[in-house]
Amino acid sequence: MASRRGIWTAAAVAAAFALVASGCGRSAGGNAASGNISATKGLVATTAAGAKPVSSITWAVYRDVNSLDPIYAFDYPENTAISLMCESLLRQAPDGSIQPGIATLSTPSPTRLVFTLKPGVKFWDGHPVTAADVVYSLDRNTNPSLGGFYGEVFNRVSSITATGPTQVTITLKQPDYWLQGELSSMAGVVIEKSYAQAQGKNYGTPAGGIMCTGAYEFKSWKPGVGVTAVANPHYWNPKVKPLVQQILIKGAPDVSSFTSGMLTGGIQGSYSFGLPTLDQLEHSKAVSVYQGPGWSTDAFIVCSFKGALGDVRVRRALSLALNRQAIIDSVYKGAALMPKWLSNPGTFGYGKSVFDAAYAAAPYLSQNLAEAKKLVQEAHATGKTITIGTSSQLANISAVTGAYQAAAEAIGLNVVLKSVSAQNYINFFTSASARQGIDGFLTVNYGDYADPAGLLSTLDLPGGSQNYDNFNDPKLTSLLEEARSTANPDKRAALMVQAEKINNQLMPWIPDVQPTNLLLLSHNLTGAVASFAYMFAPWANSLGGKG
Amino acid sequence: MLAASLLIASFVIFAAVYLAPGNPISALSGGRALPASSIRVLEARYHLNEPFFAQYWYWLTNALHGNLGISIILRENVSTLIASRIWTTAGLVLYASVLILVFGIGMGIVAGLRPGFLDTSTLVITAISAAIPSFVAAIVLILLFSVKLGWFPALGNGTSFLSNVQHFTLPAVALAFSALAIVARVTRASIREESDREHVQTAISRGIPARQLIRRHILRNAAIPITTITGITIASLIAVAAVVETAFSLNGLGAYLVQAAESKDLAVVQGISLVLVTAFVVVNMLVDVLYALLDPRVSLGSRAQ
Repeated sequence: MASRRGIWTAAAVAAAFALVASGCGRSAGGNAASGNISATKGLVATTAAGAKPVSSITWAVYRDVNSLDPIYAFDYPENTAISLMCESLLRQAPDGSIQPGIATLSTPSPTRLVFTLKPGVKFWDGHPVTAADVVYSLDRNTNPSLGGFYGEVFNRVSSITATGPTQVTITLKQPDYWLQGELSSMAGVVIEKSYAQAQGKNYGTPAGGIMCTGAYEFKSWKPGVGVTAVANPHYWNPKVKPLVQQILIKGAPDVSSFTSGMLTGGIQGSYSFGLPTLDQLEHSKAVSVYQGPGWSTDAFIVCSFKGALGDVRVRRALSLALNRQAIIDSVYKGAALMPKWLSNPGTFGYGKSVFDAAYAAAPYLSQNLAEAKKLVQEAHATGKTITIGTSSQLANISAVTGAYQAAAEAIGLNVVLKSVSAQNYINFFTSASARQGIDGFLTVNYGDYADPAGLLSTLDLPGGSQNYDNFNDPKLTSLLEEARSTANPDKRAALMVQAEKINNQLMPWIPDVQPTNLLLLSHNLTGAVASFAYMFAPWANSLGGKG
Repeated sequence: MLAASLLIASFVIFAAVYLAPGNPISALSGGRALPASSIRVLEARYHLNEPFFAQYWYWLTNALHGNLGISIILRENVSTLIASRIWTTAGLVLYASVLILVFGIGMGIVAGLRPGFLDTSTLVITAISAAIPSFVAAIVLILLFSVKLGWFPALGNGTSFLSNVQHFTLPAVALAFSALAIVARVTRASIREESDREHVQTAISRGIPARQLIRRHILRNAAIPITTITGITIASLIAVAAVVETAFSLNGLGAYLVQAAESKDLAVVQGISLVLVTAFVVVNMLVDVLYALLDPRVSLGSRAQ
């Protein structure tokens, strides 16, 4: 429950102009080997800090920003804009580790979190951040009249109180080591109480604006044009000197328009994944392409255990039959890793030595048709039908569905596709009636912080937000609950390793590939965060011109 | 007539968006299953839990008081959202209209009056370009003139008048491309038809100077069908603009209408539709006025033949 979300939406980007992609793109044969690099080796979490001032840049997101209120930030454009300007209590470093943010954390007991604001932290208007601002900001998440999206993450919290002018204490019903991750993302963003109260319903809208603490300051928001942020000359941390004077966050929903914008300098930077025009951008002298660790997983959600996929042998057979290299090459143009577990190795944000050792020893989920056929025969499933929900308008979703169809048919299963419009694909995630008669559908999914539990808890735990057909394995549940309550990072990592292994045996979801995080920068810029941490923490503090 | 068109259009569009599958709340939450309490709060705030006619009535009474409602997705007044985009679409359509008027009619007149090589080549070129839809023209123009040659920017609106013109040139050409060809062909055909009329032949035999002959006997009579096709074409540009705006990432009304319809942002869809319907009706009224000016036999309110 800590985190969730189907990010299929970004795939819609790819849909509209698949025509262009197939016309201009080249085959990515040269990148084929990248799927075999172990863990996150070869990926960069940061880029060299910028050295020169830059007056103004345009940063593209896949659609226009809808809200700048962190409690309603739930997709790439909103997260990108808010994390540029606003800061959380804790901060996710580019490598996924959790560091102090505008506050430092001490834990006098497993059920008490004491946050102390760093000295001198102030809002853009010069007012110092107080404990009252922090309590107000956190309480907004759970205020039922606001209908925010992150209320659930506070379900082990019993109280949030100001225990000093710059000190806030969170008391827990039981230990919760996932909460720190959430407080390093959108749920932990601190806004100014007096400003937000004066704006009321308008807070975070084009009319109301926002008041935060970051090194980039909100300047204006013109719907249809974009959100403009400018360097904050009075930033509370004197070590950070933003070099880019102005950043315009602009929606560029059309892939061909986005690509030509990058090539011609109309757009100077963007984060992406599964980009159909990646080859073209990689071969351009005008653009630098970086691949950083991703937090997200491309996966097949088994949403009904009543049909053929109710048999674990059939799920494993389907996984064994899948040609993942083809997905990496054709859909991701090489910018994805071959999976070993359901979670992306980019999410190993703590207990790294434990995770890395276990991950190195684990086998890749590689194709083995003979083994797959044997499993299907053992399960007496030959000739049975599976129904996959898909959308032919979403190019990436539709391509991966095709790979599943080929895999299923190769091992003697029949496949029926139920295709819906791009807009209605969302209903598979939100509506039980849309999932009626469907055995599974595809997603690209991530948690709010670098922890495999961020994703696993949503699908493995009973009542999890993405546990669609009452999946319940007592051993897996107890491992996850134990991890949530375990203070020692290495021990927590060891528990998650066990959980990943069991998850691989049971496969409530089937991992497809692990997308890397794409950072596209104009060739004369450098310094942006390259890992998926950009979604939750400031990413442009070191951005500037090349020296 | 305008009021009736608007009322009927508003009802039909409201009903269509209402009946279309999808839910603005899921668009708002990015697809996550929200807690039931959050959903109730949001539904009550935007009257989504009320029956269809109540929702329409609520919208209509507000609209009559000049309040077009609030965008569910952006939590901003619809009129503000429209105002910030209307000049993009208006500028784009105007620019494309000028191209059609100058080059479409110009090419048609030249081809109609000068049979031979010029006429044949105009016919061939317009036959090809009439078949090229705006989105294909947009892709080719971007590839050629911004990516390869770097003459024009590939996306965005520009900040000053001059940079606006520069930013809008490729989109306007893409928008005008096939319409221009059709106008040219119709112009050429009607000029050719008028030239063969008896009274023109008589005028030629009477030795009337070519200039006067063309202006008074050919162009004046050919003007009615040319006006008709130009009017229809320009009115249709208002709808086609959505495609071009998307391709060039322009913040126009058309592209926004598509986005809003996808996320079921009813108030925005209604507001933009009203603006587009009004523009369509106004263009058609202007064409009617032109008929009356061009041909005294046509009185206002009745259509020309």
